[in-house]
Parts: sequence; structure tokens; C-alpha cells
Amino acid sequence: MKANAFLSTTSLGSLVAAAFVIGGASGVAAADPVVADPSAAVEHSGTISVLTKFGLQQLSPFFVDAAKAYEKLHPDVKVELIQESDDSVKGKTKALVASNSLPDIYFTWTGSWGENFVRGNRAVDLTPVIGPETEWGKELAHAAVSAFQYNGKLFGIPLYLDAKFMGYNKSLFEKAGVSEPKSFEELLSACATLRKSGVTPISFGNKEGWPGVHYAGQLLAYNVPQATLEKDFVPATAEYSDPGYAVSLTQFKQLIDECSDGAGTNGSSYASALQQFSNGKSAMYYQEIIEFDQATAEGALKREDFGFFKLPAPKDAKGDVKAIEGAPEGYMINAASKNIPLAIDFMRFVTSAENGKILSAPPYGQPSATVGGYSAETMNPAVVDGLKVIADSSYLMPWLDTANPPRVAAAWLSGLQALIGGSMTPEEVVERVKEAAASSK
Amino acid sequence: MITAVKHDYKGEAVKIGFTGSRRPERARLGPITGVLSFRWIVIAFVLILWFVYYPIIDNFVVSTKNQDIFTGETAYVGLDNYRRLQSDPVVGTAILNNTLYAVISVVFQVFGAFVLAALIEGLSEERWRRFWRAVYFVPSAISITVTGLLFYFIYQPDIGLLDSALTQIGLADWSRAWLGEEQTAIYAIIAMSQWQGFGYSTLLFAIAIQKIPRELYDAAIMDGAGTWRRLWNITFPLTREMTGLMVIVTITGAFQVFNEVMVMTGGGPNNSSQVLGTWLYQQGFIENDFGYGAAIASVIFVITLITGFAQLWYTKTRRVDL
Repeated sequence: MKANAFLSTTSLGSLVAAAFVIGGASGVAAADPVVADPSAAVEHSGTISVLTKFGLQQLSPFFVDAAKAYEKLHPDVKVELIQESDDSVKGKTKALVASNSLPDIYFTWTGSWGENFVRGNRAVDLTPVIGPETEWGKELAHAAVSAFQYNGKLFGIPLYLDAKFMGYNKSLFEKAGVSEPKSFEELLSACATLRKSGVTPISFGNKEGWPGVHYAGQLLAYNVPQATLEKDFVPATAEYSDPGYAVSLTQFKQLIDECSDGAGTNGSSYASALQQFSNGKSAMYYQEIIEFDQATAEGALKREDFGFFKLPAPKDAKGDVKAIEGAPEGYMINAASKNIPLAIDFMRFVTSAENGKILSAPPYGQPSATVGGYSAETMNPAVVDGLKVIADSSYLMPWLDTANPPRVAAAWLSGLQALIGGSMTPEEVVERVKEAAASSK
Repeated sequence: MITAVKHDYKGEAVKIGFTGSRRPERARLGPITGVLSFRWIVIAFVLILWFVYYPIIDNFVVSTKNQDIFTGETAYVGLDNYRRLQSDPVVGTAILNNTLYAVISVVFQVFGAFVLAALIEGLSEERWRRFWRAVYFVPSAISITVTGLLFYFIYQPDIGLLDSALTQIGLADWSRAWLGEEQTAIYAIIAMSQWQGFGYSTLLFAIAIQKIPRELYDAAIMDGAGTWRRLWNITFPLTREMTGLMVIVTITGAFQVFNEVMVMTGGGPNNSSQVLGTWLYQQGFIENDFGYGAAIASVIFVITLITGFAQLWYTKTRRVDL
């Protein structure tokens, strides 16, 4: 029976493997801030590693092709790609940080997610090479570059713009006699009509938690003043006392109950809901502009049947009804990289207008953050129109789960699942978020 | 002394493996070989020390600190993370879920598997015994990720196989979002786990039952013992060692469960299906609170350590040699 004892001992050992990662690596102190040198010579040799968020089969060829093209231009350079999906990139990034092995270039969101790297001096201050007066800075959309500004310095390289829209199936709307709703109340009314016609009004999957957070984020932008939101994003000043929070959550619950499958949505994934919409089984689906091409890539929904509108604002909304939820997404350069000039050069290549046009067009459909980085002729017309709506918006409301500290984000994620399931009231969810913010101070 | 006996093709007993005392064996190896052997023991000891015992100790050290992985900043907080465990409602939920996992798994994967193995091994034809062993073992050969996705579709509200079947047999009122409701999510995951682990346990029990001499059953039959009497008075006592092992391994596994929950619900909805392993991950890798995550790891360690000692004690006291 010695083998049994060994089995038990080794399983105990494997159990604390996580602790090995934690204890063995997280004690590494951050180095001093690193600032990019615009006059540094680029040595086109060696290896650069890149962590992308393009792990999805449809998106992964973009970086593969860009890497190949760069290697062809510079034969002594090798580009190593680590491609993760939207869901896996968070865990992967933190594991790489904990083991002090971040690649030379890594994906980042804006908000508190990106701030983590800046706090830890793990991102190169790119202001001297990407600032508004620099050659590269002039090639990129200024607002997108500014979204990665922390303490007055620029740390991120925006690759594409993103925002949330309600996609809809024009045929199903027409069949039910429904037109694009202009207010939140009209949307609820449209849902009732669509349901009577035999289709699910909005397909929604909230197994991951964040899809619900996206709805709530847009409703918060409508119901809570921008200044209050931004104050509450920071734990030190957070109060969460504005009545608009509970109002937004009440509207969110109403939307899920009347337009979707209610409590059951907690058991469906975001991807399943997209599939339902693409197959013409539901009339609407709340999605990011970067997913417009995916919604019509395969399945019953054709591109000409695809329409979109901004989630309509409720009447008497107290916040900014011209705001839209969304943010650019981009990359940072590892401050510990052995070859910072080469990493910057590679990202300049990736963000060139030529690559921007490839990125913006199908099958990728990621609207480039590069000025002149897209061409209406080659792009999905819906993406082109969506970009105009983004441009007309007064405020880009950041994603709640990346704008807030992790503990507050977790409170939003679990709280909204509880709200959908009926085990918490809107007021109780706000209270949970408030407590999480207080414990994050 | 390790001795095994097998029968050659003529039916004569042949001893295999090591026989005799250790002393002549060691003497034959000589001093140089002995030193070389000791070297390998030292290497193994160092590896075990570094990869098993050092992380265990380091985990306890980390649990007394608050660490920020991004800045590398560390603050000593003593036992604060352990005190926090007591007031964290999700820890209570996680321990309850792990316990449910353990109890249900012991019922199905130990006692259920034992009965099934006895039934299979009671079949008269070897080809049928092989067939049923294979049938029950197949789910265990499928990766947990694939199984998770498979059951995700089975549990899909309305369109999933389970809800469709319930509707077909007139139990539409019972259909629900099994993974989406706080009351059912953990049970749905545990059910999937039984489906996957049942065959493996059955196979292990089948092997244990095969080792029981046939003569014992023949004698019992001659004494007029029925199927259940033979099961209870012969099979069960003579597989007690395996049963004990399976109970302990199943309980230990239930407190280490992680993949099943991550794939199917991620601990949701509203943390209702969190287990200690996923809550540890959530705290460390999502909420960036590695000190608290290490404290949860310590709890898992203590529970599994106690279970491990129970295993050693049980197998030592209840061993039955044939």
C-alpha cells in the first residue's frame, strides 16, 4: 500500500502548486520606470514575444500574417506569438506577471487593468514616441492613444476601437412589424411584440458574468452623471450613493426578464447567445462592434439583414444619453524587455495604415485605431456606420469589469448574476459593490 | 522480501522477483554500487524537498502576507487572512459544496461502483465482463474539458438534451436552467463528475474482485449462500482495502476539484457553485489577492492532509492478506 501513500502525498503536493507560483514569483520587486528613447537605434535581430487577445480562430491569422511579413522584412528577427482568447487572456496575463515572465509586447484594456502594469513599472512610458507631436502619434487616433494615459503619460498602443451596440435581425423585425426603438421603453415594447411573433427578442448568455456587466455599464452611463461614475471608479473616493445605480439595475432586470430568458441566461454562454442570433433564432443580440463580422460570418443571418442601434436611453435619464460604452484596446511594451526599440518598431509595423486596413476589413472587422487605417470600400458597412456613432458620442463609458479594481469588478459580476437569478434586489447589489469598493481602499 | 508466484505453461509454480533476505543482495552489489544508489536517493530527496515540501511551507508564509503581483509590494498581516476566511460567506459555500461533492461521490463512485463491479465480475462469460468494463470505463477516458462542454449542452435550458427528455416524458415542469440557477448548479456539476468517474472506480473494484480466489465463492455456494450473502460476506470484506483506498482518494479528490467547476460555471451563478479550488483561483488570479488565496490553499492542504493520514491508518489496520 505504499503506492497509495505516495499517491496521496503527491496529490497534496500538486494541490499547493498554485502556492509555488504565488510564493516563488510574486515577491519580485518592480524595477524603476522605463521611458522609451525616440533616438534609440533599432537592431533588427533577435526574438520578440507578443501576447495577443486574438486567439479566436477567426482572428488569429492577423498577428500570424503580420509576424511573417515583419520577419520577411527583417530576416534576423523572430516573432513568437502567444495568442489567447478574450476569456483566457486575463488569467494568462496574471500568471505571466506572477512568474515575472511577461512577453516583450502584451495585450491590455484601458482603465484599472492597464493601470496595474503602470503601477508596477511593468510598462514602458511611450510618451516620447507616441505623444501627439510625434510622427507615430500623428498616425494614431488621438482619443484612442489618450485612453491609455496614466499620470499624464502615455503607456499604450491602441490597435482598434470598440463599443457596444444592439445588433438586430432586420427580417425578424420586419416580420413582427417592429422598427428600431428610440427609447428604452420602446425597446421593451418591441420585445413584447417580437415574443408574440415567436422569436426570442434578445439572446443573452451570462455564464461568464461580464455580458451582464456590459448592459449595466451602458445603463449606468445613462442614469448616473459621468463625474459621479469616474469618482466611484476610484476606491479612495467611491461612494455609490447616487440613486441612478439602483435605477439602472432595475431597468437591467426588467430588460432581461422581458426581452430575454430571465434567470436561465446565467446558464448560457455569450458564444451560445451569439450563435442563436447568427442562426436567426433571436431578433437581437448586444454585441461589440468588433463582433459585427462574426455575427454574419456564417449561419442564417446575412450581412444585408444585419442592423444595429445604440442601446436606447430611458426617458428621464439623469446621466449622459449621448454616451456609449466602449474603449479602444491595445498593447503595452514590457519595461523588462531586452529589446524595447525592436518591440516598438514591430508595433509601429502592426499599426501601419496598410495593416490597419487588413484589420478593419472582414474577416477580422476590428476597426483600426490608425488614422487612415480603414477603407469604407473594403469594410462591412455596419462597422463603418458604427464608427460614426462612436465618433458622435460624448463619452466613452469604460467596461465596468476593467475600469474598476478586481474586487469591485467581481462584486459587479456576481451581483448581476444574483439580480438576474432573483436572489438579490438592485439595492442589495449596489450595497455589495459599495462594500467591495470600501474593502479595496 | 518481494516474492510473487505464477504458474508456467506446464502448471508448475515458478517464483519471480526478489527472493531471500536483503543482506546477500546488498553484498552482491558491492560498496561502489551502494554509494551510487544512495546518490540517486539524495537526488530524489532534493527534488521532493524542492517541488513538494518547499511550496507547502512557502504557501503558509505567503498566507501571512498581502502581496501585489504587479508592484511586488508585500505587507505582513499575520493571521488576518485566516480570520477573513471565517467571515467570508463564499468560503462557507465552497466548503459545503466540496463536502457535498465528497458525500455524493463516495455514494456513487465507491459503493455504487463496488456493486456494479461485483455484478460485472459475476457474469459467467469473460467477453461480457470485458465488454461491460469497457462500456463503463469510456467516460473516464474523455478529457474533463470535453466532458464539461458535452454536459454544458446537455444542461442547456429548453434546447438541451435533459430538458428535452423531461418534456418528452411529460415532466416539462421539471425542466430548468440547470447550470444557471443557484439551487441546481453545483448538483449538475456533481452529476457530471459521477458520470465521468464511475467507470474508473468500477474498473479498480473489478481488479480487486478478480484477486479473490474462486474457491471461496464455490464453497459459499455449496453452503447455500445466495448472491447478496456472497457479496456481503466474501466480496466486501476481501475488497475492504480497495474500498478504503477509494473512499479516501474520492474524498481527497472532492476537495481538490477545480476543472469541472471552471469549465461549466466558473463558480457562478452568484458564487453558488464555488468550491475551495475555484475560490482560491478567483482570489489569486482574478482579484489579485494572493495572500488570501494562499490561506484558502492552506485550508485545502489541511483537509487533504487529514484525509491522507486517515488513508494510512485505515490501510494499516484493515489490510486483509489472501
